[in-house]
Amino acid sequence: MSLTVAAAKQAEKLRIDGNSYFKKDRFGAAIDAYTEAITLCPDVPIYWTNRAVCHRKRNDWTRVEEDCRRAIQLDHNSIKAHHMLGLALLQREDYTEGVKELEKALDLERGASPKGYKVEEIWQDLARARYLLWEHESTKRSWDLQNLKETCMAALKEKHFLDTSQVEGFVDENIQSNLEQLEALNGVFNKAAEDDIPTDVPDYLCCKITLDIFRDPVITPSGLTYERAVILDHLHKVGNFDPVSREPLYSSQLVPNLAIKEAARAFLETHGWAYKTD
Amino acid sequence: MLGLALLQREDYTEGVKELEKALDLERGASPKGYKVEEIWQDLARARYLLWEHESTKRSWDLQNLKETCMAALKEKHFLDTSQVEGFVDENIQSNLEQLEALNGVFNKAAEDDIPTDVPDYLCCKITLDIFRDPVITPSGLTYERAVILDHLHKVGNFDPVSREPLYSSQLVPNLAIKEAARAFLETHGWAYKTD
Repeated sequence: MSLTVAAAKQAEKLRIDGNSYFKKDRFGAAIDAYTEAITLCPDVPIYWTNRAVCHRKRNDWTRVEEDCRRAIQLDHNSIKAHHMLGLALLQREDYTEGVKELEKALDLERGASPKGYKVEEIWQDLARARYLLWEHESTKRSWDLQNLKETCMAALKEKHFLDTSQVEGFVDENIQSNLEQLEALNGVFNKAAEDDIPTDVPDYLCCKITLDIFRDPVITPSGLTYERAVILDHLHKVGNFDPVSREPLYSSQLVPNLAIKEAARAFLETHGWAYKTD
Repeated sequence: MLGLALLQREDYTEGVKELEKALDLERGASPKGYKVEEIWQDLARARYLLWEHESTKRSWDLQNLKETCMAALKEKHFLDTSQVEGFVDENIQSNLEQLEALNGVFNKAAEDDIPTDVPDYLCCKITLDIFRDPVITPSGLTYERAVILDHLHKVGNFDPVSREPLYSSQLVPNLAIKEAARAFLETHGWAYKTD
């Protein structure tokens, strides 16, 4: 019994040593310290996540993944573990799973400290992950669509050729109508590919101040909608008035625009390119 | 009335224009009168007829093009197959996949013209119709202005869904959603249909 207590104490001491090495950017030494702590007490999740943070600093993503998975086995709700596991999965291009892990991390962080800075950090990583996932999937879609289009265009041209060689007279009309058919087919493929082509996010889904798509939109008594964090910042730093209508405005008057929030979410779901942040 | 006459003889584009003009003028003259509603109904019906007319042509053209391309693709498969020996099963499979994929492309291109459900966030929870003049309550919920005013007047001063206290002075026009609904109707004309 006392052997276990002694081990725990020693492990804790090693953790503190590790933390201190980490602060001095001595990641190798930190890893050694955490490793010793793990050897003594392998069931403490925080030793694994601390070591994972060091591996991340050294871009050793394979080990980041290993340590995070171990930590999650010990503690399903380890925010750090899910966060770093997500990043590690992105590194080896498993975008779907990476997004899942980051979503989990964000959920947990929001539950723990909704207004902390870490929520913003995880959100940024999640947006980037969703963008990478969209990019990966849409590249394949575009490629497949392009191949199919070329095959069909060729088939149509062959058909035109065969049809024309069988019909005498009216050649000009046929050429014209054949060209129109090819143009029309081109149009069909463009329309089918539309959602994957980055354009502008509709105005009504963007904050007039940030010009970015809404994340947490709020509406003012003037009927105008802004990004919550940005309008709060404006009220705090610039003054208590609506930036566009100039009417008096206090933070207590802000109402969450739930319908627009849902509209923005739905738009991102079908237009993943809009996840790109500058 | 010129608008209605034009609809009768199926000049939908001009009919819509005339009715829009009529609505504009009526709104300027008596914004809260019953005639605004009457003209609005006619205009919605006109826009629906215009969409129906144009989309029928689009669907027809698309269907013809699809059939031509399917036939061309099948001819190409036939010609390609007769020139290649062996690997016949693989080719048949990949040919079928190509035809399926082409079908998918045409369906995607025709998507906007197929009536489905208007997204929830563009509809009033009371009327279940697409918003015309949406207003938002302090609870963050959005309703059709006329309908929520009617509710407050006849039923009581509370938000129908959140049950929080609510007075007509607290209603704020949800300009962003109004614009979102307008944009949706522009590309999905079937949503103009009223029961």
